[in-house]
Amino acid sequence: MSLVNLSAVCAHLNNATKARLALTSIPNSNLHLKLSLALQNSGYISSVARGGPTPPPAHSILGYPAVNDEVEGIEPITRDNVASRRLWLGLKYWQNESVLGKIKMVSKPTRRINIDVEGLRRVVRGEESGFVAGIRSPGESLYLSTDRGILEARECVEKKLDYDLKYVRTHGCA
Amino acid sequence: MNITRPARCLLCSFTRAAAPSTRVPRRQFHPSPATLSNRKPKFPNIKAQDYKPYSEEQKVALAKEYSEAQMAAVEAGEAAIDPKDLAEQMNERNDPMSFKYIDDFSVIEPGVDRHQRAPESNSDYNFKLKSEDDFVKDFGQFIAEMPDNATGADFVRWADNLRVTHGKEESELAPHSALVPDLFGPGETIDEPRVEERKSAAEKGEKERSAEAEEMTDALKSLLLATGYTESQVKGLRTKTLVSHSVTNQTRLGKVRRAYRLSIAGNGNGLLGIGEAKSDEASDAKIQSQYRAIRNMQPIPRYENRTIYGDVKGKVGATELQLMHRPPGFGLRVQYLIYEMCRAAGIHDLSARVGRSRNQMNTVKAAYEALMTQRNPEQVAHALGRKIVDVRKVYYAGKI
Repeated sequence: MSLVNLSAVCAHLNNATKARLALTSIPNSNLHLKLSLALQNSGYISSVARGGPTPPPAHSILGYPAVNDEVEGIEPITRDNVASRRLWLGLKYWQNESVLGKIKMVSKPTRRINIDVEGLRRVVRGEESGFVAGIRSPGESLYLSTDRGILEARECVEKKLDYDLKYVRTHGCA
Repeated sequence: MNITRPARCLLCSFTRAAAPSTRVPRRQFHPSPATLSNRKPKFPNIKAQDYKPYSEEQKVALAKEYSEAQMAAVEAGEAAIDPKDLAEQMNERNDPMSFKYIDDFSVIEPGVDRHQRAPESNSDYNFKLKSEDDFVKDFGQFIAEMPDNATGADFVRWADNLRVTHGKEESELAPHSALVPDLFGPGETIDEPRVEERKSAAEKGEKERSAEAEEMTDALKSLLLATGYTESQVKGLRTKTLVSHSVTNQTRLGKVRRAYRLSIAGNGNGLLGIGEAKSDEASDAKIQSQYRAIRNMQPIPRYENRTIYGDVKGKVGATELQLMHRPPGFGLRVQYLIYEMCRAAGIHDLSARVGRSRNQMNTVKAAYEALMTQRNPEQVAHALGRKIVDVRKVYYAGKI
């Protein structure tokens, strides 16, 4: 599984937040979907909806495309349209600043980083471990790919997941 | 038998053993202190059979205290409430719809609870104007209910309270108004002694100011006017000139040299400002820059009044620096310019790394920029829509 596409997604999200976009799209894949849902779960993005080349219709009340939209509905994936599917992400802003801030890869396509739960525990406490800098600022998160899906670093430490592959780091700070 | 355990421990084993688990069952992420696991409950568990109706003796005792009407009310209340229901209401809920946390809901929390709206207006949209017959009827009622020794005051009182409409009473008597309500109710004022206190304090301040004004320079006067500080307060601020060099302006007449000064000012308790000035006279530039620094003072967010929130970066020109928060007692392990800024602002634990250019002026500016870019965790929590808890406060039970 190459990380090139994921790096492109991170760069695209940074560009989209700099341009103050409310809605943007990334290529559809299971990895991207899992990461998007993890980001949404943490509150960094407001919505995740699968759609075509054009954005799916906005929910009549929420104002952005929603999965549970009963009026417009979400187009089901078929063999014909699966190649054109994209993930449409709603971006958040608070007090004139992007909530997502800056998102960047820790593992890179040319250098994967694995970390065990001991090292991750140090990272979560704000110390450096291996090639990974500690989480030291409010609103900073680290997402890892584990055998139980993409999880936040603190969640991994809580569940004592071992031997993780590190992926993405979001910075709240400017 | 183990020697280390004396014989009386055998007897002890019949008594209640201490709880095998730790006394604090689990780390709890809220600032209130954890309850002990083997603590007795504050209130006994109440069951339905605990509620018994008053016995005859008790009723006789009660009748001595209460009137007949009150006793009737007590009995009616007893008959109306089912003891089983009462027992359920008095206990903690354990039904599926019960709350997962303990709260008495006495406080409205802005992030969690629904907003408290202004009360609905007491307008009545279905009111009807009274007809002539109604007024005649009202007047007839007044005549019929009039006391024997009626005076003019009775009529005036009736006329004042006479309603012109049918419908909700408040709609007519206290109608909706777009005006801001009065600050004080009728007859209310600020306490007299406090008014005098304030007046004398203001007079005192004026006297002080007028006495000082004779010796003050114009620059200081305008500074005091702009900031609202007194001269003694300004003297109490920590000011320091950090950067000084001369600058030249190349004109056709030659090089014009002037003195440049960059100063910082702070109150040692969270306020910090920087100011820069140029002048022909070095002492002039120094004073001017210090006054500008005092004018520019802004609050710096501080974590526990000793360090900063998170690691921050600043960049001015080619100077890039990073300020890092540190644990209590770490001290200020930073270079001297940032050290002086921290002293003035009241930051006690910090480390910093200045990369690339180490130009003095830009270092001070970049450090100030970095200090101002801190993110407040409360704002982060609002932005994410998630609750963020300071675990240090939880661990020390809010004592730091």
